[in-house]
Amino acid sequence: MLKTFLELKRRGVIGINERNVRYVNANNPRRLVRLVDDKVETKRLAQQAGIPTPDLIGSIANARDMRELDTLTYREDGFVIKPAQGAQGNGIMVVTGQLKGGFRLANGRRITKDEIKFHINNVLSGMYSLGGQPDVAMLEYRVKFDPVFETVSFKGVPDIRIVTFKGIPVMAMLRLPTAESDGKANLHKGGVGVGLDIATGAARSAMQHDSSIDAHPDTAAPLRDIQVPDWDDILLMAARAYDVAGLGYLGVDIVLDEQRGPLLLELNARPGLSIQIANQLGVKDRLNAATHAADEKARDAPARVALAKSLYTDADSADIADEAAVKQAS
Amino acid sequence: MTNSMRQASILAFLLIALGMGVFVTKAVRHGFPLTPGVTTTVWDFEIYLEFAGQNRATRLEVFIPTSDAERNVSGEQFYNGPFGLSLTRDDDTRNRRAIWTYRYPEGRKVLRYTAQTIGETPDDPIPSSLGRADRDARPFEGDMVRQQAFIVWTSTLRRRSADPLSQAALTIQEIFNPEGSDEIEVLLPDLPRPLAQLELARITLESQGVAARVVNGVFLSEGRRRADLRSWLEYRAGGEDVRYFPGGEPARFFTLWYGTDDFVDSRGASELDVQIALQGNRSSAEQVALGPNGDDSFAVRYFGFDGLPLTTQLVYKVLVTIPVGIVLLVFLRQFIGIQTLGTFMPVLIGIAFRETALLNGLLLFTILIAIGLAARMYLERLQLLLVPRLAVVLIFIVIAMAGITILMTGANQAIGLSISLFPMVILTMTIERMSIVWEEYSAGEAVRQAVGSLMVASLAYLAMTHPQVEYLMYNFPELLFVLMGICLLMGRYTGLRLTEIWRFRELARR
Repeated sequence: MLKTFLELKRRGVIGINERNVRYVNANNPRRLVRLVDDKVETKRLAQQAGIPTPDLIGSIANARDMRELDTLTYREDGFVIKPAQGAQGNGIMVVTGQLKGGFRLANGRRITKDEIKFHINNVLSGMYSLGGQPDVAMLEYRVKFDPVFETVSFKGVPDIRIVTFKGIPVMAMLRLPTAESDGKANLHKGGVGVGLDIATGAARSAMQHDSSIDAHPDTAAPLRDIQVPDWDDILLMAARAYDVAGLGYLGVDIVLDEQRGPLLLELNARPGLSIQIANQLGVKDRLNAATHAADEKARDAPARVALAKSLYTDADSADIADEAAVKQAS
Repeated sequence: MTNSMRQASILAFLLIALGMGVFVTKAVRHGFPLTPGVTTTVWDFEIYLEFAGQNRATRLEVFIPTSDAERNVSGEQFYNGPFGLSLTRDDDTRNRRAIWTYRYPEGRKVLRYTAQTIGETPDDPIPSSLGRADRDARPFEGDMVRQQAFIVWTSTLRRRSADPLSQAALTIQEIFNPEGSDEIEVLLPDLPRPLAQLELARITLESQGVAARVVNGVFLSEGRRRADLRSWLEYRAGGEDVRYFPGGEPARFFTLWYGTDDFVDSRGASELDVQIALQGNRSSAEQVALGPNGDDSFAVRYFGFDGLPLTTQLVYKVLVTIPVGIVLLVFLRQFIGIQTLGTFMPVLIGIAFRETALLNGLLLFTILIAIGLAARMYLERLQLLLVPRLAVVLIFIVIAMAGITILMTGANQAIGLSISLFPMVILTMTIERMSIVWEEYSAGEAVRQAVGSLMVASLAYLAMTHPQVEYLMYNFPELLFVLMGICLLMGRYTGLRLTEIWRFRELARR
């Protein structure tokens, strides 16, 4: 056990304690954290800065707003209900369309309007919000994910998580929903995490339940072959999110929409650490490198992306990058 | 090392230095023992009077203990309510009385007297207030026939004994002889037994120039809500102190008053209920010896609860152990990484275990959570709003608790009775959190967190109720600063948790 501990320390694997003390507490001022904890607010800020996000259909804050529910939910292509201050993907309901007077959920189940109302009421009373305080339910455009991930997703929307430090993309992974995670891309619910090379967006390694895997558990598609399209746009979007939120240690969640391309889904002031397992790499060295480089060369988002690409092409990932380049060329 | 890191370390160091400094001062300079091993039992003693006021002048006279050189009573407190209190002391008998008076009391009233004592043992010398050894013989009072009978009886006693000591023993033996004899029956004064026999013994001894008195008090054997009043005899014959306890000698007792008067003399009060409550507390012998003003150094005066009223002391006795549970919880969360439902919930449950003891507590907790969870699952279908649903679960928990108590008491199990203040609000919130985890993750995850919480709660309970921990925290409250310092240091721990070593184990292998 001690040997493992020392080895992990040597390899720069950080835990929750270190994340909280050294990175979250030290770089994320509370008043700014509040902004990203409220998804409606995040969306507003992102749109101000010209970063595309899934459109807000409407938000429900009280019983009066609830009367609008019929109008809001009258959509062929479905919608997503989210608690504006929810955490860890709790309380998110994905409706894919109408079904026999009710609605169809992402997992195929049918749900009535009353059940949707009940869920919204639960959201309003703060059942899913961080401190249990009253919350707002937001209805959002349902992302039609890019078919590029069709073979490696099971009923749900895959997303890309990029951890940025002072605006420099530090580590990235693709999160894939599984049958077990109920269509959600959250890793602690059983989603698959695929570590991505920062320079190219090609898969490095993959994990589920904190252990590495090679193929998607439901579709059996190999995970090593994945190449995320529009990677430079995605990196740039992640770098720009820092300008919006101002949080030094930030998790940026991005989805790829079939028509609209990369969309900023949400921001996270306390991104989890499983990304290290997905990448089979401790994040500390990368964070240190970013700390040292941050001040001089990282004036704007494109510069920070360039910096990230130059910083994080170690021998290991260079190999993979080459492979990816070959793959793309062919 | 960053600035915040340095500040935290300095503050932690200062706190620990302060706490340890006072601790060492008390332990070394003032010789406070560090373990509860060298202790005596200090008894909390309480006289509790409850009665219905009749809206007329009310007067209650109650005997309260007297502090002698030989008998230490400390921390006296009177709870008078609106009543006026006066204390009297009879110089002859040295009896003390508290006299509570009020003109127009109405409704139920409660009066209390509390004190602390270490009590007396049968081997202790009799307080010097017992009259002069060779006082003049007192004649027996009564009609001619009984005086005659008394003289005849005592002269046979004198003939059959060698000295005052053996004569006294013989007297008592005759009086308490279960066979009884008609002449003694005639002599017994009009009092309930064994008081009548004790009083006769006293009269007999005094008539022979032996100082004697009837003593009333309680036996200090175990903590009781309603201790029995006992009477016994003490006398000094031939320069030797002797106590005679009808029905056996106690290990420890406590004297309340002398003579054959009633314990309480009341006027104007009805439905009077008198209780004498005893509670034994282990406490260091040294502290008892020090007394409230035995030592007034800085460390002793400001870092201790001795100056507080008894009831407040008892509260602090529990209160100061809670930080120990909290520190343990912080350790288990930050260093081990055990997941619990709610931040401080396990410690609160640990506190609740105080009343139920560990196994019963775990059993009750598990049963109630299971029942509550089932109810919560059903309520989910009714689609209630959050707060009313919580309320329903809470009421359901109370009903379930009542049900368990009634069933268990019917089956002659004491387990149900200890439930009294099992914190149902905490239970309700636990159930709510658990069902959210259940829905959002899995039943396994919910059970895992519940088991984790129970484990932490059990450990916290064991730590908080450990006699050594209780003793140290109560007698050395300065250790709270040390605990605070430790928490500050733990708050800056940035290493991996034990569970994370397991979680990230793959990263070390490659």
